[in-house]
Amino acid sequence: MSDAQSLPGPLAGLRMLELSNETGQFCGKLFGDLGADVVKIEPPGGEPSRHIGPFLDDIPHPERSLSFWHYNTSKRGITLNLETADGRELLMRLAATADVVLETFRPGFLASLGLDYEALCTQNPRLIMCALTPFGQTGPWRDYLSSDLLHMAAGGEMASSGYDEADVPNAPPIAPGGGNAWHTGCHFAYMATMAALVHRSVAGQGQYIDASIHEACALTTEAAIANYIYRGEVVRRQTGRHHAAGPTPHTQFRAKDGNYVCALVAGRLTPKYIGELADLLDTNGMAGDLRDPKYQDPVVIAANTSHIIDDLVANFIASLPAEEVYHTAQQRGFTWGAVRAPEALLDDPHLHDRGFWKEVEHPELGCSFVYPGEAAIYNGSPWRISRRAPLIGEHNVEILCGELGLSRGELSVLGENRVI
Amino acid sequence: MSRPRALENIRVVDFSWVRAGPWATRWLGAFGAEVIKIEWPENERGRLPSTTTPQNLEVNLNTSGNFNDTNVNKKSLSLNVRSAKGLEIAKRLIAVSDIVIENFSSRVLHRWGLDYQELCKIKPDIVYVSMSGYGHTGRNHHYTSFGPVAQAASGLTYLSGLPGKPPAGWGWSYMDDTGGVYGAMCALTGLYHRNMTGEGQHIDLSQMVASVPLNGPALLDFTVNGRGSRRPGYPPGNRAHWPGTPLVNNYRGPTVTPHNAYRTHPGEYNDWCVIVCHSNDEWQRLVEVMGAPSWAASPKFATVAGRLRHQQELDEQIEAWSMTLGKYELTERCQAAGIRALPVQSAEDRVEHDPQLRHREMYLEMEHLALGRRKVQNTPFKLSKTPASNHLPSPLIGQHTQEIVEGLLGYSHEDLRAGFTDGTLWPVKRARFPYMEEMLR
Repeated sequence: MSDAQSLPGPLAGLRMLELSNETGQFCGKLFGDLGADVVKIEPPGGEPSRHIGPFLDDIPHPERSLSFWHYNTSKRGITLNLETADGRELLMRLAATADVVLETFRPGFLASLGLDYEALCTQNPRLIMCALTPFGQTGPWRDYLSSDLLHMAAGGEMASSGYDEADVPNAPPIAPGGGNAWHTGCHFAYMATMAALVHRSVAGQGQYIDASIHEACALTTEAAIANYIYRGEVVRRQTGRHHAAGPTPHTQFRAKDGNYVCALVAGRLTPKYIGELADLLDTNGMAGDLRDPKYQDPVVIAANTSHIIDDLVANFIASLPAEEVYHTAQQRGFTWGAVRAPEALLDDPHLHDRGFWKEVEHPELGCSFVYPGEAAIYNGSPWRISRRAPLIGEHNVEILCGELGLSRGELSVLGENRVI
Repeated sequence: MSRPRALENIRVVDFSWVRAGPWATRWLGAFGAEVIKIEWPENERGRLPSTTTPQNLEVNLNTSGNFNDTNVNKKSLSLNVRSAKGLEIAKRLIAVSDIVIENFSSRVLHRWGLDYQELCKIKPDIVYVSMSGYGHTGRNHHYTSFGPVAQAASGLTYLSGLPGKPPAGWGWSYMDDTGGVYGAMCALTGLYHRNMTGEGQHIDLSQMVASVPLNGPALLDFTVNGRGSRRPGYPPGNRAHWPGTPLVNNYRGPTVTPHNAYRTHPGEYNDWCVIVCHSNDEWQRLVEVMGAPSWAASPKFATVAGRLRHQQELDEQIEAWSMTLGKYELTERCQAAGIRALPVQSAEDRVEHDPQLRHREMYLEMEHLALGRRKVQNTPFKLSKTPASNHLPSPLIGQHTQEIVEGLLGYSHEDLRAGFTDGTLWPVKRARFPYMEEMLR
C-alpha cells in the first residue's frame, strides 16, 4: 500500500470543470480524490453551499463550513461570473482545456448564456458534459424546486423508513440522514461520466449526459419496487430493519450501555445455527434453553422464533456493551453489527489498519484536521485526498494567469468589474 | 442502426451474488458490457429464497421478481467453480475478459486459487473489483455484512430517527444498493485507468467502509469541533432542528423551518408531503398558498429565528392545512408558487402516479421467459451518444451455458454434455430445466 500511495490516482491527467452547488459537489470530490484535476468554478464571493453549517468553532463564514470542506477536497477553485461576457469567454477558454464539465444549474440556464454543450463542444469535441439536476432536463417536474429532504420523500426512501407502531405510535415516515439524495445523485453521475470517459478512450468523442437525482433516488430502495411490480404489495415501515409487506421479527436490540445492536437472526434459524447461537449466548452464560434437544426439530424452532429472538437474543445483547456483542458475534461468524454514532468510527482499529483516516492540512489555519478517506483501496493507483477545499478564488492567479495567460493587470480589471 | 454502447467489447466475469454485487454488474451491462454471471444452484443466493415471486407462479430459481430487476443485462453460466474442471473453465473465461468482480467474504477467491496474483497470471491487465463487507485489508476483513450491518457499524443507521427513540435506520439495504453502485464506479474507474495506461489492478472495496464518508459533515463536526452526534435533539427526524434543544446544524442543509413531513388528505399510510422553506420569501409564498390564515400573520412566525422557536405550533398549523389537500395537489400548488414540496411516494406511487418518472420512462416493460412482461427500473441518466438501457431480461439459471462454453470458449458439444453428467455445469442429482435438455441435444 505504501508503494501505491506514491503513484498517481486512476484519473490522473483528467481535468474536470465543476460548476456545482451542494447537489453535485460530491461527484467533483470523487473525481478529485481519484486523481483528476478538478477546477471548481464559483460565483464571485463563493458558492452558496459555503453557508451550510456546521462551521469551524460555530462561527459562520464561507471559509469555515465543514460541510463545504468535506465535499470539496482535492479541488482547485476559481471565481467566475458567468453572467458577464468576460466570464463567459473565460469559461469557453477553460472548457477547451477540459475533459469533463459537471454542471448543476437549472435546466436551460447555461443555454441562456450561450454556454450549453453544443457551444462548448464546438471547440472541444472530446468534451463530456454531465448535467446533474434534481429532475433531469425534461418533464413536468423539470423546473420544480427541491431539497435533500424532498428527494427522500419523492424517491421513496421515507416511505420505507420509520417505526413499528409499538415503538412510536403514529410515527411519520422518517428521512434517513442528511445529504444522501445528493450522494445518490452524485454516485450515478460519477458512474455515467466514467462510462462516457471509457467510451471516449476508445472512440475519441465526448457526449452529453442528462442525470436526474430524483430517478437515482427512486431506484435506490432495494426490493420495494419489485414487491409492487411482481406482487402488488406496498411495504410497511419497521424500526431499524427492512420494510416488508407484513410484520417481520425484530433485528435491533438495546445493549447494556444503551447503544443498539443490529442482529440478523430471523430467516437463519436452522438446528445448526441454534447450536452456534447457544455457543455465542453461552459466552455470557445466557443460552437459556437453547441446548434443549427439541430445537433439533425445525418445527419447534419455528414455533419458538419469538422466544429465541425477543427473549434469548435480546437478553444476551442487553447483558453486554454493544461493541462487545458486535465483535464477539462477528468473531464467531454472526452477521451482526453495533449501531454506532459516527464519532465512534474514529476508534475503529479496522479503519486504522486500512489507513482510512486522513490528516488534511489547512495551511491558512496553521493546522490539520482528520477527514474520512476512501471507500476502496486501489492497489495500482490510489484514491486519496490531495488537498483541503479551495478558499474562494484561491487559484485565480494560478489558473487564469498561469494557465490561460492573463496578466496580473487583466486579473485586477476582472476583479474590479466583478467578473471574478 | 443501433447506437454504439459505452462498454462495447468489454467482458465482465461476474461471480457476485445476493444483491450488492449483482446491482453493480447490472449497470455495467446497461452500458453494453457482456456480463457473464457465474452461478451454482447448490449455493445460489439471490434467486432464492424469493419473496417477490408473483402469487400465481411457483417459487423456483427462475421466478424471483427482485432477482429479475437486479440482474437484467446479463448472461448466466452455471458452473461449479469448486471443481477442478469448473475452475479451468472459469480461468479460460477470465483469460478473454476485462473485469472480474465478486462480493464474497474476503478470502473466498484466494481459496479458489483466484486471488489477484493468480488472476494476473491468467490476464495480466485484469481489473479485479472485490466487494466484500469489510474489505480484503484490515484486521476485521473476515467479518461479514449485509446492508443493515454495514449501515449500523458505519454510523448511517444512527443518523436516522427521532430523538430519544431507537434508531429508525434505513428501511432496506441502502448499502447493498449504494455498495453496488460503488462496485460499478470502481470497475469503470479501473477500466478507464487500464485503457489509459495498459495496467490493471485490484480494487479492494468495502461495503462498510464505503458507508463512512457518507457521514462526512457529522464526522468533521466531531474531528474539528469535538461535537459528537450523541446529543439532545439528534437525530431530528425530518426536521433540520428539534424544538427545545440546542440550536446547532444537523447536517440536513440549512437550519430552517418549515422542514418536515405533513399529513395530507385522506390521511392514509403514505399520505404525507414534505415542505421546506429555505428563506423568508419562500415562507411568505407558503403563507399565501395556505390562504394567508390569521395565525400565520403572527409576528412570532415572521423571522426564521421565531419560526424555529415556535416550530411545534407552526408544524401543527401547517398540518391542519395540509390535511385538506391530496399530496399531489398540494405539491402542484406549492411548486407553482415556488415553494419546495414533494409527496412521500410509495413504490406504487412511483410506478403509477409520478408524472416525472413516467415522462422520463423510468419503468419500461421487458419480456422475461418465466415472469412474462414486467416493468424494470431504467437508468437514471441519459447519455447522448451511447445511451445506457436495459437490453436483456435477467437470465434463467444456466441459460447461456452452451453459448459461453461452446461458442465463446471453444469447448466441444461432447465437453458440454460431459459437464452436465460429471457435475461441472449442473449438479448431477438436480433436475434440469427444459432449456438445458434443449442445449444438450
